[in-house]
Amino acid sequence: MYLQRAQEFFAFQYDFVAHALGASVLVGVVCGLVGSFLVLRGFSLMGDAIGHATLPGVAAAFLVVGHQHPAALLTGALVSAVIAAFTVGVFSRGPRVRSDAAIGIVLSVFFGIGIVLLAFIQTSATGMQAGLTQFLFGNAAAITGPQLQVLAVIGVVLCVLIGLHYRPLALLVFDEGFARSVGIKTTRLEVGLLAALSVAVVISIQAVGVILVAAMLIIPPSTGRFLAGRLPGVIAWSMSLGGLSGALGAFISYVFEGVATGPAMVLVATAFFGLALVFGPRGGLVWQVRLPGARRSREAL
Amino acid sequence: MITWLVDPWMWGDWMWRGMLTVNLVAIACAVLGVFLYLRRMSLLADALAHVALPGIVAAFLVSGSLDGPVMLAGAVVVGLLAAGSIETLSRRPNIRSDAAIGIVFTSFFALGVILLSTVVRDAHIDTHCLIFGDVLGISDRALWLVLTVVPVVLGLVAIFYRWLTASSFDPRFAAAVGIPVVAVNYGLMTAVTVTAVAGFEAVGAILVIALIIVPAATAHLLADRLVTMIAWSIVHAIVSCWVGLYLAIAINTSAAGAIVVVGGALYLLAFLFAPRHGRVVGMWRTRSRREA
Repeated sequence: MYLQRAQEFFAFQYDFVAHALGASVLVGVVCGLVGSFLVLRGFSLMGDAIGHATLPGVAAAFLVVGHQHPAALLTGALVSAVIAAFTVGVFSRGPRVRSDAAIGIVLSVFFGIGIVLLAFIQTSATGMQAGLTQFLFGNAAAITGPQLQVLAVIGVVLCVLIGLHYRPLALLVFDEGFARSVGIKTTRLEVGLLAALSVAVVISIQAVGVILVAAMLIIPPSTGRFLAGRLPGVIAWSMSLGGLSGALGAFISYVFEGVATGPAMVLVATAFFGLALVFGPRGGLVWQVRLPGARRSREAL
Repeated sequence: MITWLVDPWMWGDWMWRGMLTVNLVAIACAVLGVFLYLRRMSLLADALAHVALPGIVAAFLVSGSLDGPVMLAGAVVVGLLAAGSIETLSRRPNIRSDAAIGIVFTSFFALGVILLSTVVRDAHIDTHCLIFGDVLGISDRALWLVLTVVPVVLGLVAIFYRWLTASSFDPRFAAAVGIPVVAVNYGLMTAVTVTAVAGFEAVGAILVIALIIVPAATAHLLADRLVTMIAWSIVHAIVSCWVGLYLAIAINTSAAGAIVVVGGALYLLAFLFAPRHGRVVGMWRTRSRREA
């Protein structure tokens, strides 16, 4: 039975399969790119906060528009994501607030607002609310062709913009002080990075859901760090493994009934991470266990 | 006004059950939260609360039951496994601790969600309930779980108070005077996991996370000593529970969500108007200094 479903998947008999596959790959690639800078900057868990923080935006947009208009929902998500990023910035700048606590506060309070709004939607009997819980764990199969086109255009524009600002961003994540000394406006750049993060999260939540989008921002770049020693290599690995995880996740979710796309994608990414952690040429466990002599000789040098 | 305050208590026993459970969970979370905050480990609460989901699922897979003790044991084992992997991972030179947290808890959570929707589909574990909670419809099971777990956790904190304090403020000093710092650390993780699991069914994962992080952060703006910080943290937690629950009844919305939102509003108030560390006071002080 599974074999038959696998054949169905590769035959692309149904449009929604192709759309789900496209959306998942897009998520993996875009999150892999943006996540590389975030992880190196030490902002890994910002993705978690921003992901959770899109929920109130989605719910509020639903309340205002009154039905599930994808563009409206995603605009709402973007607005609340940006507000959340800004709030973390304001809170964590204070002398008596720890940045990790600021992330936690924004994450839980925004999600709480989202739950309150969702409860309103459920009690007001519009009968259309069923789809909103999809945003929690994602449902790539629900994405239509035109939606996918819009998401893809946004994703490509985002990648191009990051590509254009590659050098200053690379300086920012590795050595902020140096970046500032050569005249780079680091604050503005950081705001830009957080904006890019918000956009990446918003185009991903339909496929992976608000809770697990953080995984696609953190895991592929962390995998990349075991496979390459320089930033372009890390980014290339991160984007390709992210995309591959997306594709395999969509495949698994189609073959095995009941498995949502988001969690499947995340587990594939984790499997890659596990492999890299053990066998990766940069700091993989195997090389440290098996080659104690090599290390000793290097130390002797 | 008074009828509005009193009435819900007469509509059946769900009001006192909800209020009792939420307050107990809130107090335990607020106390543990202070120690996590001081150790800069607030986000570990987020991770452990997410990881409790696969813990519960694993317990069900192994034992086939969802009794309180089994559930707690499963969650503690998986929670400690997660805490251990986070610590091992963050020791690698190319993984920061925040990335380690993000990698571990999302993977565990994804695994839990998949198991829940496939292998253990008929276990009657309600994801929706685990995330959002059901404050106004607390089952006997959840009530008893909270009634046993919370006093135990608070009692342990009281017994090991000095060890916890010393290892939170200055782990090196603590180790030097012979306090088993690592054991205290994992004990704290266990306490957080147990509280999270006990609180889950009653109040939901998101409320547990919020109740661990927000009261402690608020208290840090108001207090300069550990004892007063714990006191403020508890006050914040209780006030947000009462106000939030009444609010939820008044506007007919999710109780867990309302409590979180009230807690966030209280934090914002403290952030702006705290007597010594508030932003408004700070701005006023700089201005008067400039004029002088």
